[in-house]
Amino acid sequence: MATTKVIDWDKVGGGIKRKSIFLEITFILPVAVLFLLVIMAIFAPLLAPYPYDQISMQDRLLPPFFMDGGTTAHLLGTDNIGRDILSRVIYGAQISLSISLIVIAITASIGTVLGILAGYLGGRTDAFLMRVTDISLSFPAILIAILMAVTIGPGYWTVVLAISMLGWAPYARLIRGEALKLRESDFVAQARIIGASPVRIMFRHIFPNVLNPLIVMVTLSVGFVILTEAALSYLGAGIPPPAASWGNMVNDGRTFIDTAWWMSLFPGIVIGLVVLAGNFLGDWLRDKMDPRLRQL
Amino acid sequence: MSKVILRVEDLRSFFFTRKGVVKAVDGVSFYVCEGETFGLVGESACGKTVTALSILRLLPEPAGQIVGGKIFLDGTNLLELSKEEMRKYRGRMISMILQDPMTSLNPVYTVGDQIAESVRLHQGLQGEKVDEEVISALRLLKIPSPEMIMRNYPFQLSGGMRQRVVGAIAMSCHPRLLIADEPTTALDATIQAQYLTLFKDVQKQTNVAIIFITHDFGVVGNMCQRVGVMYAGKIVETATTREIFKTPKHPYTSALMDSVPRLDQKGDRLYSIKGQPPSLRDLPPGCRFFPRCPVAEDICRQKEPAEVEISEGHFVSCWKVK
Repeated sequence: MATTKVIDWDKVGGGIKRKSIFLEITFILPVAVLFLLVIMAIFAPLLAPYPYDQISMQDRLLPPFFMDGGTTAHLLGTDNIGRDILSRVIYGAQISLSISLIVIAITASIGTVLGILAGYLGGRTDAFLMRVTDISLSFPAILIAILMAVTIGPGYWTVVLAISMLGWAPYARLIRGEALKLRESDFVAQARIIGASPVRIMFRHIFPNVLNPLIVMVTLSVGFVILTEAALSYLGAGIPPPAASWGNMVNDGRTFIDTAWWMSLFPGIVIGLVVLAGNFLGDWLRDKMDPRLRQL
Repeated sequence: MSKVILRVEDLRSFFFTRKGVVKAVDGVSFYVCEGETFGLVGESACGKTVTALSILRLLPEPAGQIVGGKIFLDGTNLLELSKEEMRKYRGRMISMILQDPMTSLNPVYTVGDQIAESVRLHQGLQGEKVDEEVISALRLLKIPSPEMIMRNYPFQLSGGMRQRVVGAIAMSCHPRLLIADEPTTALDATIQAQYLTLFKDVQKQTNVAIIFITHDFGVVGNMCQRVGVMYAGKIVETATTREIFKTPKHPYTSALMDSVPRLDQKGDRLYSIKGQPPSLRDLPPGCRFFPRCPVAEDICRQKEPAEVEISEGHFVSCWKVK
């Protein structure tokens, strides 16, 4: 007698049953990490055991608590002038995260708008915008930042402006290529046939179709912005001390890397976490945006 | 005879390229009546699609330009309209179906959204009224369970179904003229036959005038009341479908007819027209067909033949036809 096998339909097709979004690890993990970091940034004054700029020379270069000579008073140790690393990492989230967010919002918007304009309109608009993009790409961002730091003084908004000023160019380049491809597509021709205006075509038909590369670029930029800010801080054109940003903490630790590695390591770990979380979230979003994958 | 809805007079559309001027459409005239299907036949690159795009004024600028002629749609010369006015005509008065249903829908919107876009643009409707129009457009194209299909994304539908959706978009605002640019080329034979029957039905219901662009005489015989045969940017012969099939006058038309494989005749090899169509950049003087024409004479080489009406509604441009 043949045995009848009960088919578990949830498992048919490799178990591709539509999962609730909250069960997906690639979504929940990066969101949790970013959420925690944002909470950390907002409630920094409550969470941090010490003020970020409290100097204590007798406690300088203390190692983290789990090492010989470490103390639970300074869980992650102290830096070369005795400031608490944990507190500075917590406060650093405020600056590093907000700079990334603002810079990415500015550069992605400018780059997308210019890219779509250049790609869709073509001709002289394209030639002009792309030459401007070329010029922007050929300038070293650091040089501009130093120039600006000298002229308007270093500070938070100087960093934002300096990174944004040239940071839109890669976006424009990428989006322009996509728009150029989409302009020739049949569905854009179809939109013209039903009488859609150029503005409408760019906004409604081109824009949603460039979201995927845009999101990938945004997630990759998170790391770029934090690291550029770090480089600027190192050159004295970034966030001026005593304010804590992850970037300037990593750079402060550079000189002590062989004796007090914790000075660079802990801010380095959070930078890594943010970049990784951004990439994961970007992947997840990209999958969700693709209607083909969305239906599975 | 019913009312003439579209009249194209001496249309000339050129492409200005670095290598020279491409005369893609060079003096094309024809008309289409309400409820009629006019076939535009010819081999690749003879100017069929450029003619269609010219009527919509959607030539790829700045290279492609309409340099002369008149296009009257229901009495209005489309070439005199401003860009904004023309945009309002597109979709509402004239619509077009493209060849490939796999690429002519936007992958990120549902089918319903895409039909709704046209409805919103031209009818100024909101909310549930839009949905009603969308469903009625889907019904017109005999799409089963429209309430469900409208929520689907293009990739969820088959090629035949997508092409119906494209048809629904085109018909959603009840245009007076529909241009179908080889809409069945990408479909297989059974679906093609279905689609053609469907379109005849749509036409009966809406009385829309159709310009049917194709290179398939079978489709012409099935769909069209009248046909224009295009060669190298010109219509060389216009007549009713019956006359074209029975008594083709232009040597090019007869040659095309002879190149169609037939089931009722046994033969050796299928006839094919010798040579290549002329480059539209560098047209021969005189008749465009004379280098390939089996009956060409001296005059064909020197002067372009004028269009003559040999019987009612049957126009031919050939020196050999008297």
